[in-house]
Order: sequence, then C-alpha cells, then structure tokens
Amino acid sequence: MPNDKNATSSGKTSSSSGQAKQAEQVLLPDLDMNIERLHRFLGGGEDIVCRTLQHRSFDNTRYALMYIDGIVDGGVISTMLLGLLDDANQYAEMREDTTLHRHLTERSIAIGKLSEIETVEQACYAMLEGCSILIVEGSLRAIAMDTTGGKTRAVEEPSSQTVIRGPKEGFTENLRTNTSLIRKIIKSPDLRFEYKMIGRQTRTNIAVVYLEGIAEAEVIKEVHRRLDAIDIDGVLESGYIEEFIQDRAFTPFPLLQNTERPDTASAALLEGQVVIMVSGTPFALVAPVTFVKFFQSSEDYYQRYDIATFLRIIRMTSFFISMLLPSLYIAITTFHQEMLPTSLLISLAAQREGIPFPALLEAFLMEITFEILREAGVRMPRIIGPAISIVGALVLGQAAVQAGIISAAMVIVVSFTAIASFVIPAVNMGIAARLIRFILMILAGTFGLFGIMSGLMILLAHLCGLRSFGKPYMMPFAPFVASNLKDVLVRVPWWAMRKRPVKIANDNNAIREGAGQKPSPDQEGA
Amino acid sequence: MVTLRQIASMVILFLIGSSSLFLLGGKAERDAWMSVGVGVLAGFLVISLVTLQIQRLEPDRNLIEIFKLYFGRVIGFALGFIYVIYFCYKCIRNVREFADLSIMFLLSDTPLSVIMFIICLIGGYAVMGGPGVFFRMAEILLPFLLLIYALIYILLIATGTIDLGRLLPMLEKGFKPVWDAAIPEIISFPFGEMVLFLMFWRYIDRGSFSQVMKVTLNSYLFAGAFITVMNVVIVASLGSLAGWSTVPLLQATTYVSIGDVFERFDPFVALLFFTAVYVKLTAYYLGASLALAYLFRISLRIAAIPVGIGIFFGSFWFKSYMHQVNIGFEQNIKYHFPIFQMYIPVLLLIVMLLRSGVRSRSKHQSQPSSEDSNHAK
Repeated sequence: MPNDKNATSSGKTSSSSGQAKQAEQVLLPDLDMNIERLHRFLGGGEDIVCRTLQHRSFDNTRYALMYIDGIVDGGVISTMLLGLLDDANQYAEMREDTTLHRHLTERSIAIGKLSEIETVEQACYAMLEGCSILIVEGSLRAIAMDTTGGKTRAVEEPSSQTVIRGPKEGFTENLRTNTSLIRKIIKSPDLRFEYKMIGRQTRTNIAVVYLEGIAEAEVIKEVHRRLDAIDIDGVLESGYIEEFIQDRAFTPFPLLQNTERPDTASAALLEGQVVIMVSGTPFALVAPVTFVKFFQSSEDYYQRYDIATFLRIIRMTSFFISMLLPSLYIAITTFHQEMLPTSLLISLAAQREGIPFPALLEAFLMEITFEILREAGVRMPRIIGPAISIVGALVLGQAAVQAGIISAAMVIVVSFTAIASFVIPAVNMGIAARLIRFILMILAGTFGLFGIMSGLMILLAHLCGLRSFGKPYMMPFAPFVASNLKDVLVRVPWWAMRKRPVKIANDNNAIREGAGQKPSPDQEGA
Repeated sequence: MVTLRQIASMVILFLIGSSSLFLLGGKAERDAWMSVGVGVLAGFLVISLVTLQIQRLEPDRNLIEIFKLYFGRVIGFALGFIYVIYFCYKCIRNVREFADLSIMFLLSDTPLSVIMFIICLIGGYAVMGGPGVFFRMAEILLPFLLLIYALIYILLIATGTIDLGRLLPMLEKGFKPVWDAAIPEIISFPFGEMVLFLMFWRYIDRGSFSQVMKVTLNSYLFAGAFITVMNVVIVASLGSLAGWSTVPLLQATTYVSIGDVFERFDPFVALLFFTAVYVKLTAYYLGASLALAYLFRISLRIAAIPVGIGIFFGSFWFKSYMHQVNIGFEQNIKYHFPIFQMYIPVLLLIVMLLRSGVRSRSKHQSQPSSEDSNHAK
C-alpha cells in the first residue's frame, strides 16, 4: 500500500539525523550509482526488477524503472510503459521549457498517484510498499508510482460472524479493500481515515477511522496517543495492537471489540466509536466498548425489534449458563442437596451410584474433555472433522456414562454449557466465560454456593473497575445511563432510537434521526 | 467519581444490609414495626440536622479531613483514629455475622477462619478498586436485591404465610414499649450508621450539595419504609415466633412451597442476605481504609491491607454468633454506638458552627484537592 505520509515521515527522520548521513543517502545524478545503491539497500534478490530504458525521443536520456515483483500490478506497469513510449513525440515539441523528469511527472505517466522521492531510503521503502520507482539520469529526485498489486483474497462472507439476514461482505487482509468497504457504506465527507505505520520490520499500515463530529474528540486523541506509543518489530494481526492499547492488562474480558463485518464497523462509526483497521487481517478493532456490546449481533438491527430483544435475552442467559451451570450443579449436588425436589434428588443419587469421582472432579474431567474436543475441532484439518464428532459424541459421551465413569446428568450439564457458550456472538467474550467457569467450579466444589457468590462478587468488582478508553465497562448499568438502555437488553424499534449512545458518542451531536417517525395507520384510508 | 444515583443505591443497600437478619425492635413484640417507624423518623432528624449539616459546611472534605481542620493535628488525629477503630469494629461485626450465618445455613463443615478469610478477601478486592468501583457495584446489585425481595414478599403473600391479623391488637401496652424499643436502639442500628457516609459524600460528582442532601434523604426514607415493611412481613408471617428465630425472614421463607417442586429456597435467600451484608461490611471496610489512608497520608491500596488484617483477626474476638449478637444489642447500640453516631458528630457540628467565621477566611488558602490524586478513581 503506497503511502505518501510514510514516505515523507521517513524523509523527515533522515533529514534530522545530520548532514553527513543525508549526503550519503540522497539520490545522485548518476543513474547507475543510484541503481546500485538501491540494490544494495534491499540486499539484492531475484524479485527486484530493474529495467533501464533509453530512447531517442527523450534525447537518449537514460532512465530506470524499479519495482519488486509480485507485490506490484504487472498490468498497470506495462500500460504505463506503453504510455511512456507513445508520449515521446510530445516531448520533442516541448523540450525547450521542461526537463524530462518534469515532463514525465506532469504529462506522461498514466498512473493516478505519484510522489517525489529524494533519498535512497525513501525509494526502497516505497518499493517495499509496492510502488514502482522511476529514476531519470541527471535528476536528483525519483518518481514513485502507485502500482500496488499482487494477490489478495476476494471479498467473501465473514466466517466468524455469520448472520441469516444482513450483508454478506466481510473484510479482507487488504487495508485498501477494507477502507473502501467502509467508504461504500458511509458516503459522508465527515468520515476520516488517519493512517499510521507500526512495526519496525513489518511496517504495518494502520487506519484509524471515525466520523468527525460524532466520535468524541477525547477518545480519538487517546487512540492516537496509545497507537503512537507502540514500539514493536512486527504487527501481524490486530490482536497485537489490542494488547498494547487496552486499558487494563490483566483481565479475562475483552476491552476492545473486533469485527470482520463492514456493516458492524459502520454501525460502530455511526454510534461514535472509533474503528482501528490493521493491514494484513480482516479483523478491525472497535473502541470504546462496553460489556453489553459483546452480546449484540449486527443482525439484531436487521431483524424485527421484538425478535432481536428476545434473542438478546437468550444470549445474556446463555452467558450466565455457560459461566455458572456446572458450578451450580456441583454446589447443589455436593453441599445443598436439600434444595432439590425429592424425586429429582433420588434420580440424581441413583445416577451417581457407583461413580468413583466427586462431582467436582467429574465436572472437571468432562469440561476439560470438551475443551480439548473443541480445540481439536478448530485446529484439525477439515477432512477429518467427522472423526472428531464420532469420537467425541460416542466414545467420550455415551461410553463414559455406560462405563460408569461419568454420570448422565453431568454429560447433560456439560453439553448444555458448551452449547450455551456458542450462543455468545463475540468469541472473545465466550472465552472469558469459559475461563471464569473453571474458577467458579473450583469455588463451588470447595465452598458451595458461598464460594460461587464470593466468586461472583469479585467478578462484579472486577467488571465495575474496568474501562475501555476511559469509558466505564459496565455502562449503562453503572454508571446508570437511562437513555442507553434502549439498545441493551431490549432493542427498541428504529424510529424510537433517536439518540446515539450517550457518553460514548459526542454528546453535542446526539440526535441521529427525526422525531415522530412511528408508523401510524392512515386514518382516512381506514 | 460517584453519581447521585450510586449514592442513593449505596444508602439503600447499606441500610438494608444486615438489618434484614434481625427483627428490629423485637422488644415491642407485635408493634415492632411501629418502633422501626419511630426509629426511621428519629434517625431522619439525626441525619438531616447533624450528619448532613457537617458535610454541608465542608462539602469537599471527608470526616478525617474535617477533624484535622477543626480540632488541630493531635486531637483531630486521635478522633480520626477512633473512627477508624469504630468502622473496623462495625465491619468485624458484619464479617462475623456473614461467616456465622454461612456456617449455619450453607457450609456446616468449613472452618470459621477460612470463611472469614474469604470474606475479607472479597471485601478487600472491592476496597482496592476504590470508592468508584464499589459504588458502581452497589448500583448494579440494588435492582437485583429489590427484585428478589419483591419476589419473596409475593411468594409469602401468595402462599398465605402472611397474616396481618398477627399484628393485632396494636399498641396493647400503650406507646411506651414502642418508644423504648426505638430509642436509642433503632437509631443506633441501622439508621444512625449513616455517619459512615461522611467518608463518602465528598466523592459525589454533583451540582450543589442540596442535591446530595435531597437524594440521601429520599433514599434514606425509602430504605426506612422498606425495613418497616420487612418488619411487618416478619411479624405477620411468624407472629410471636419472630422474636425467637435466629434469622426471622429466612424462617418465614421456609413456609413457602410451590407445587411440591420448589420447597427450599433458604440457601438462595441466605445468599440474598449475604449480598446485602457484604455491601455493608465492604462499605465499612472502605470507610476504615479511606480514613486510615487520610490519617497517614498513604494510598488507599496500602491502607486496605492493615485494615483487612485487623478485621480478619478482630473477627475471632467473638466467642459465638450469640455472643456477637448479644454484645451488639445489649451493650453496643445502647452505650457505644451513639457516641460515634451522635455525640461526637454533634460536638463536631457545634465546633464547626462556632469556628465557621474563622474558617471562612482561611479556607481559600488550604487546598483540599491535594490529596485527591491518591484516591480518586
């Protein structure tokens, strides 16, 4: 991805680091010398292409085209070369009042985006970004042409955040494609993309995206401040960035949301959040977020509001089931049997007859087994997928019960817990629930309900202390923000969602739609 | 910072706190609820005329800072330290209640020390987060608690456990027993305990102090009404048995049975009580830690450690639950607590009013915000 800003910024660093060094790096009038130095800087390599050209109509002035094969678009380059040759006659007419370098820049090159380059370093970094460099003999500057290309994945349906109703486009690994997907959805002049480069070696491009006037200025500033502070050799995924910029390091809960859906990212922008896109990954980061955001799916806003509300309650319930069910089962069967109705108690006791392990150990065995199965399901080659389900379901489930190692009730509890954990739309929140589940199971096995409650209190204190880019994580519950409740457990109809989330978006620009749009039956026609 | 809504939640949770464990004003027997009513009103006077007035004169300082300002370094330090002890003692009582009841209703075989250690740990974790975190917790917990209480009342009514006839005849022995049961016992516990909020009010993010007063008094009255209703429910469900039961409301819920499936809720009800007691003990723990932090000018996180250790070992002092309850109800609430809840605050208020003329001149010089950086969350 060519990027003028980066080229100029690296230019600035070199100019500030002393005259002697700069003299060493600037391009010289001698073309061969320049080419040789560029080759040396990049360490040679077969993929560095250098084509020296010379023809009569350009006064026999030699010029060279350099690029790195594979990351440029070959079609664009050959069109450009053809254009250059065609143009020779025009140059003949005008050679009096122009130089070849200027002529090329201003008239000949059939490429949209050009930039001027003065040093070897800049030229090399531009080539690494996918630019082609044109150096003219006798000129102290080179021309960098945006010829970025190479193989990228096409826009496909996102695999991790699927919906039944809603757009099927997903982000790709290409930053430019991703920004264009957002541009295509939000055609507003207020949409801002601010680019950065992070990673000493990978020089990964990062885009900070927000809507001017809707996102809070403080948050944008903070995002920039935290991103600028990052110093690392490589950024291969937005997860690297996430760990550097989250508010608290030690927490199982995600403090930034990630999405591979352009519509989700756009919705976040419209609600005043900031999106951070990282080149090389389809997962964009969204900040600031609150706890409840992780239980919302983009589909909530496309389905009818009553259905969406129902689904949200189901998801919240699933979160608690996924976190608490095994520990409640352990606590009640071990410590508080009197809470169960007698018939159920007898049935459970009969099942547990002959089971060699205490409930805690039994639950642990099953939970760990399931976690291994799940991890295997993610990592293994797709072809052997069915094998895992057979082994998992039949061997580990049914056979373990028949062998009398695990009680049937425990299998039900563990399976239900597992299914519940898949309901949570955000995978990272689901993982948090899984981790906490194990701690609560230990507490339940040692202290029963008292242990579970102690665990939950610590959890609550922890959650209340979390912040995401300065915004309290438990908002709108604590601090209570009545206006934001319209889109938390309940999703009100679109015509009632007049305000953007207060205290997350810019509060001076909170109204997002006109009043009184509730559809009403046509009185006269009725 | 703390919002007005959070302080309201905290006041309600704090007052309900451990009072749900006992039959307040039990000496007035079936007129107990009237004693509570009298207690609420008397407590209202104490809070509105003394406690809140102190804070109104110095809205940006907490109790320890006010002591230092008005009584000088030495006496102010001594008074502040006494309050640290008082807050710790109240916390110890709550820890002990929490632990003893856990053993009684949930974990009969676990050693007391382990339970108390865990309680101190979960209290300490919230305290370390600072007032901001703890008040947010209260804001989240309150709706759940009120909802569950409402559910319990509905179940009690639906199953016919509540019989308002048990409240009759009213005032059989005249008004004297009602008054005697209320003053000073019910002022001391729980309503006078609002003195703790002198440590918290200054953290409120507010427009003017009159807002704080209004919110505090409203939530105080709500909690008062809530406790009175609870008292009515207890007496109407248990009748004369109420006075003898260890935890009357828990006893009442054991009568609930729905369709032979849900019969034993008491572990859940016990958890409900414990949540409320947890909030109360953590509030005291936080108050004591804040006070210690201001006395020695250390950070809250450091202050919470010695306070926590003190509370843990202090909790071993009571020989049993009954010993703890008896000391509390026979001695503390009659003789000891009023000192901290009324006498010292009244003295402080008088001194403040006398010196307010002097203070108003030097007020501009002293900067109360210098210590904020330690504790602000």
